[in-house]
Amino acid sequence: MDQVIESTNLAALSDEELDVLERQIAGKYMGKVPWGAVMWGIGNCLIFIALFPLVLSGLVPLWAGFIVATLNVILAYLPSHEAQHNIIAGRGKPLRWLNELVGHMSVIPMVYPYRILRATHMEHHKHTNDPEKDCDIDLHARSQADFFRKALINRQPASTRNGAYGNSLERTGQSHLMLDALLLNAAYLIFMFSMAWSGYALEMALLWWIPKMIGETYISYYLAWAPHYPGNEQGRYRDTRAFKSRFGNLVSMGMQFHIIHHLYPRIPLSLTPAAYRELRPILKQRGCELGGL
Amino acid sequence: MKIIISILFSPMAFALGFLWPLFTQLIVALQLSSSGWPAILTGAVIATSLGLLAQLRGSWVWIK
Repeated sequence: MDQVIESTNLAALSDEELDVLERQIAGKYMGKVPWGAVMWGIGNCLIFIALFPLVLSGLVPLWAGFIVATLNVILAYLPSHEAQHNIIAGRGKPLRWLNELVGHMSVIPMVYPYRILRATHMEHHKHTNDPEKDCDIDLHARSQADFFRKALINRQPASTRNGAYGNSLERTGQSHLMLDALLLNAAYLIFMFSMAWSGYALEMALLWWIPKMIGETYISYYLAWAPHYPGNEQGRYRDTRAFKSRFGNLVSMGMQFHIIHHLYPRIPLSLTPAAYRELRPILKQRGCELGGL
Repeated sequence: MKIIISILFSPMAFALGFLWPLFTQLIVALQLSSSGWPAILTGAVIATSLGLLAQLRGSWVWIK
């Protein structure tokens, strides 16, 4: 296929021909079970849960627990993201239970309900950068500094960000899913209050409350802000960009290639770099923003 | 039920349920006050002030 692309004058192809070629390449990377993401999602959640008894019993120092818990929250979202797109197994497939298990379990450290994340994420894909309908639009910012300012403001009780997912669910007739958020957050608060008043407030702050804030900001930066910046265009080839992270692909959690995810959401995260490299000439021809990657 | 939910998720509940014991524990850990009532009362004052700010202004850090 590489040779086909190299020997083909892409500029001479019609939109339809380009489309066929693009889909042929993308198709090679789809339909594979991302076992790495499965183990990552379940393992990460189990390590996070294990931290609590390990730190409270003194087997792991609190400072080390804080670092591990922060990493756990940062790493919590992406396996669920694979499940949200049915990449592990689609509806009716034998491994569907695993898809749903990973989806629910991996986001426990973030205290986010999987069904809400899936429903709102689909809306984000459908309406990326739409000021009215993209439920992640208020994560956009003019610059890096502005992103962190907005991240602080979005955390405040009066922030409109608090209602973004609820409004999206209401607009799409899925308000019943809000019960998931209510129950999960109530359980989280009751757990935190009970532990705090039992003499473990500092431990809970460093094992869950602060890691959750850091992790959410980190995830928003790399998943929502960086790949959609400046976020003022809509359309399949212009609403998401490739970018070169100065901290590399691991630290940016593969989001340099997020444009591939928006074009072909069924390609597993681990295969987006390879798919990007093969699709790059076509994306360039399409006028995508490739950010020097 | 709606009232219980709005109380549980209010900034003041978070201040009293979590920040109060957290500040109390921090004050003792940093040896700013002796453990017992002085630390508990100081923790209560700080947590309640923050809780009131967040509850009334809608922001824990003033800016919004």
